[in-house]
Amino acid sequence: MMKCEAVRDNLGAWLDGEVGHPEADQIRGHLEGCPACLAEKKRLDQLQSSLQEVLRLEAATVPFELFWNGVERRIAEKLPWRLQLLDWLRPVFYPGRLAWAIPVVIVSILGLLSLDQILPEWPWVNKNNRTAVESIDAFGFNVAVFREYDTKTTVIWLFENQDDEEQSSAEPIQDDNPTF
Amino acid sequence: MQLSDWELVQKCQTGDVGAFQELVARHYSKVFMVVLGILNQREDALEIAQEAFFRAFRKINGFRGGATFYTWIYRIAVNLSIDFQRRQKRNPTEFRETVDDVAENQTESESDPYRDLQRSELGKQMLAAIDDLTPDHKAVIVLRAVEGLSYREISRILGCSEGTVMSRLHYARKKLQEKLTPFLS
Repeated sequence: MMKCEAVRDNLGAWLDGEVGHPEADQIRGHLEGCPACLAEKKRLDQLQSSLQEVLRLEAATVPFELFWNGVERRIAEKLPWRLQLLDWLRPVFYPGRLAWAIPVVIVSILGLLSLDQILPEWPWVNKNNRTAVESIDAFGFNVAVFREYDTKTTVIWLFENQDDEEQSSAEPIQDDNPTF
Repeated sequence: MQLSDWELVQKCQTGDVGAFQELVARHYSKVFMVVLGILNQREDALEIAQEAFFRAFRKINGFRGGATFYTWIYRIAVNLSIDFQRRQKRNPTEFRETVDDVAENQTESESDPYRDLQRSELGKQMLAAIDDLTPDHKAVIVLRAVEGLSYREISRILGCSEGTVMSRLHYARKKLQEKLTPFLS
């Protein structure tokens, strides 16, 4: 049998349907036999419904036309060029659309490493072995390219950024600590 | 047949303002309720809720449907409300003037329904008690009351864990109960 204190600590979550099955049954059972906790439950119910009612009544006084006029006025106003540019660029640089970045980075690195073949006479072209690592941050990927000059061997390696993975997996654990 | 929110969003992305108007019509009331619960000022709430929909319109091309439209618009509205309230506390004079300017430009009835509503003693006390909570605590209790959102949905909107939502709700309800005990049967 749960104690009143334990029931009251979980009463709000229970009313919200956020308490698991065995514990929810225990709370229900406790409420049937405890008038004090039942009264507490009714107060919580009343609190919730009163808040909802207060806000609902107020929202009912705002006609759609008035609301929409305010939104439409903003849409019609001309935005500063900086914001317009930002709006135009946002869909292009949205992470889900950055797939083009992977081949572009690979081709760019390959191009740089192949300069010795394209422009063999240029004095600043380095004829040593080379390595290069570039990251594609939006995807958490790195591209590594190894170029061995004598045998003309090129290895391209696409791998996930382990640091980012560790960081992201650590976040939810930290986030699970309730803050007040 | 009524189009889903996502279908309307897709139409908005092709530049259909009428589709966006339909989305606003569906959600403005509850978004306004959430913002009002956080700000406790009708004029401010109207302004911020309208701004939230405008920001959504501007960013609609970046909306990929990973979340539902209403959790997305709630997120924008709650963030704007919390930012507004924090800045207002830092510089109340500046904000009062801004809101007054907006109020002057709007054609509203002369009576103030918000104050009329406060005649109800519980309503009055409720609004006062909520106003004493922090913006983060207001946000969870209002999102739960207005839309009956699950803790998971609220956590996504606020960008925190479900445990945080639960503890904030528990704290906020406790505080409200303490202040409203004489008015609750």
